[in-house]
Amino acid sequence: MTAKAPLLNPLTLKQWQRFKSIRRGYWSAVALGAALLLSAGAELLVNSRALIVSYQGEWYFPTYADYIPGRTFGLDYDYETNYRELKGAFSAGGVGDWVLMPPVPYDAFENDLKSGVYPPYPPSVADRHYLGTDSTGRDMVARLVYGFRLAFAFAAILLGCNFVIGIAVGCAMGFWGGAFDLLFQRLIEILNNVPFLYVIMIVASVIVPGFWTLMGVMVFFGWTAMTWYMRTSTYKEKSREYVLAARALGASSKRMVASHIIPNTISVIVTFIPFSIASGIAALTAIDYLGFGLPPPTPSWGELLRQGTQHLESPWIVTSVVVAMGLVLLMVTYVGEAVREAFDPKKFTYYE
Amino acid sequence: MRTTSTWSTAIGMAGLIALAGCEGESVPEPDAPEEPQSRAAVLPPVEVGEGDGLPDQLPADLVWETNEEDPIFASPDAKRGGTFRTFMLSFPLTIRRVGPDSNGAFAGVLRYNQLSPVTHHPETRRPIPSLATHWAFGADGRSMYYRLNPAARWSDGVPVTADDYVYAVQFMRSKEIVAPWYNNYYTERIRDVKRYDDLTFGIQGADRKPLGEMHSLYAFGPVPRHFHEPRLTADWVKETNWEIEPNTGPYQISKIDKGKFIELTRKPDWWGDGTRYYRYRFNPDKVRLRVIRDVNVAYQHFLKGELDSFSLVLPQFWHDKAVGEPYDKGYIAKYWFYNELPTAAGMYLNSSDPLLADQHIRFGLAHALNFDRVINTVLRGDYARLQAFQAGFGDYDNRGIEARAFDIDKANAYFDEAGFSERDGEGIRVKDGQRLSLRITYGQPHHTERLVILQEEARKAGVDLGLQLLDSASSFKAMREKKHQIAYMAWNASGLAPGFWEHFHSVNAGKTQTNNLTNHANPEVDELIMAYRGSTDYEERTALARRLAQMVHDSGVVIPTFKVPFTREGAWRWVKLPDWLGTRTTGTLFNAQSMSAGLYSNGGLLWLDLDEKERTLDAMDEGVAFDPVTVVNTAYH
Repeated sequence: MTAKAPLLNPLTLKQWQRFKSIRRGYWSAVALGAALLLSAGAELLVNSRALIVSYQGEWYFPTYADYIPGRTFGLDYDYETNYRELKGAFSAGGVGDWVLMPPVPYDAFENDLKSGVYPPYPPSVADRHYLGTDSTGRDMVARLVYGFRLAFAFAAILLGCNFVIGIAVGCAMGFWGGAFDLLFQRLIEILNNVPFLYVIMIVASVIVPGFWTLMGVMVFFGWTAMTWYMRTSTYKEKSREYVLAARALGASSKRMVASHIIPNTISVIVTFIPFSIASGIAALTAIDYLGFGLPPPTPSWGELLRQGTQHLESPWIVTSVVVAMGLVLLMVTYVGEAVREAFDPKKFTYYE
Repeated sequence: MRTTSTWSTAIGMAGLIALAGCEGESVPEPDAPEEPQSRAAVLPPVEVGEGDGLPDQLPADLVWETNEEDPIFASPDAKRGGTFRTFMLSFPLTIRRVGPDSNGAFAGVLRYNQLSPVTHHPETRRPIPSLATHWAFGADGRSMYYRLNPAARWSDGVPVTADDYVYAVQFMRSKEIVAPWYNNYYTERIRDVKRYDDLTFGIQGADRKPLGEMHSLYAFGPVPRHFHEPRLTADWVKETNWEIEPNTGPYQISKIDKGKFIELTRKPDWWGDGTRYYRYRFNPDKVRLRVIRDVNVAYQHFLKGELDSFSLVLPQFWHDKAVGEPYDKGYIAKYWFYNELPTAAGMYLNSSDPLLADQHIRFGLAHALNFDRVINTVLRGDYARLQAFQAGFGDYDNRGIEARAFDIDKANAYFDEAGFSERDGEGIRVKDGQRLSLRITYGQPHHTERLVILQEEARKAGVDLGLQLLDSASSFKAMREKKHQIAYMAWNASGLAPGFWEHFHSVNAGKTQTNNLTNHANPEVDELIMAYRGSTDYEERTALARRLAQMVHDSGVVIPTFKVPFTREGAWRWVKLPDWLGTRTTGTLFNAQSMSAGLYSNGGLLWLDLDEKERTLDAMDEGVAFDPVTVVNTAYH
């Protein structure tokens, strides 16, 4: 069984087909995948840096490069070129220089402020602020896209850490049982009773929480959730005949857990992935909303949500972020449902 | 932080404000009929240190002063009655005035109703009678004598006497109140208090001061001896948490619903009503403070007519939120009132920081910050740039100082001179591998939108600014522990003259728990500060203050930020103000109680027109519109 590549495994194939047949979940997965791919290359789509600048016959690709001072293009300043202005200057100059901007020519940080009118600015196709701006004139699309990427990355890394620790500890508890199990059960109960939001608040009042600090705190309290499921599954699997058989054949503990028990609890693990992603995104958004999350000016949905509720008279802020967040969480949940259904052991079990 | 929003927690010289907060109310006629009775038990005299002490006999050569000739500033049209409904963001942890947990926002309300012997006229800024009718200054330059108004009463009817003053010092020095700050203040700053007769007493302060500032520096309010003496045991803190202490002001707490509201009731026959400067004031019968934990939620309550007034200082409120039906139909009136109050808001650069120790970097940074852009965008052009460390102290201000303006060329030149001439891949300046990266510590979430604009603009000069938002108490703590690089904050400036010693003297540099946030230390400045502190001559003192302000500017440790030379408020149609709205020193127009800004007695001018309220409510039911009301008063602009 271990020799087979998982995709060729008839059971995996069946699960995949079952997943595909659940249209809602399948298309959600496709849409989410596409969104992730696009957001991974967001610099090419939503950015204040030009894609290509052609200046005096030379081509520049500023997107992923070091900053290019304005002087390079004959402007009179040393700081980063404003490519939108450059584009205007080039097309007015008419000497054949040109600039190709991304579809949304703003990044998540710059304040596009106009004199005489005050932010937040409503959506405008002419200004290419397709969803308007926030209260300091930053483009909503840029804030949303970069915020999505960050939140998803955060949730994915959080999930990885939580699962590695949670599965390892949970399996160990179930497999060894006894004093070890008892000790960790108590430890986990204690951890579960620490109000994690307060810890975040205390941490945030002492230091500025960064991406990894927040991750650290959330992993510290988050890994416990998986342990209970893994512990019960391991207990269950441990007493099955195939594990006993492996033991009788002299398999080491490590081998029994890694090669026999974990593959048979995979449905538990996989089922939890989408829901953990959703809760990771929601948790980051919540603490950002409360102001204890990533420091400004990091693009974040929680911060947008807060701005939105404070600026209800500028409905595009709250609408954009609520719709975006609703959609993403809904899709993740659909995927989760479909995965759960596809892996439902009542339909397919590995050992029968 | 009053400068930026009236509801934000005032941080800063909280302790000093606490004292300045003991404000005066009213003065009885000198020949009032009732004579307070002498107490049987005579208090032991206050402990006095070496070289201190008031004379045993009242000096014969005292020149007694009073002030019954300054203009009155309340409106004779004011009507009594009604309940003025307002809110607080959290319920107080105690209603004690001193001791643990007592210095919260509600402390201000309590202090409004505990008067000092003398207060200051909000227009002329001269002393006016409050609990005392007359005052005189001792020859030693640091003592004052007061004669109490014989009509002055505690809220339980007991007369206010000189014993209450002697007791105040003993009380404030006692360990049982668990208030080290007060213990220290009443030992170090207040050196002696002596009773001469039931109504006459003297106070001696620590140092000689100009006569004009003595009241504001050394005067304090009495403590009701008859109330506290039996209670002052080891359990005092616990037992008095929710006991209503007798007070001398117009309002007393009448109802407490823990976690929900506190209601104060107007004393029907308050002793101050007959006095010149308290007449026609403090008109609502009741003031009810409801707990509403979020400002935006409170605003919704205001729109529904459940609160009578609301602060609209923030541009977002004034321009975006304070629009729509209730305003267009004239149910809610908007008031924009310019005032003249002391202000001190800035970025305080920690000169102990290796980067900021270099003056070139400090100057470069000042030129890299585009405050005008902030003012003209998110602040809607309403605020103004503050030019010096502090302003609003009249002759003490150095109006010749101009804050360093945004100028990338100058910033570049200074940074180049400091050796940060290269730029890294992100355009940030570097020197020997060190980035020109600085952190701004601040405590108010609504300042973020101002700072992100400064942050983006500063990148043009090659400075990377990090933002560290802490909650307001922790941010001030971090600053006082000098853990900041750049402290972005505002002082609750008050008093009659600016303070330099606490902010710039070298004895406060390099130490935690001092207000010298810049760690500024310069022997020449020290010398001037000491001369300034010791000077009793007004001309000399103001000249020294102006010179000091210039030297602070030259050092570049302070980058002044914004000033808000006005208050903006909304109020329902039935809340009335005098035609002149407020006074030169009015910080809050719709303040039902004693005072609203530092030392000046200027609150309590409003009244509720109950007939108008009925008419307004009827009109709202029927959808009838009045003319919209927006009043802009620039009398003090």
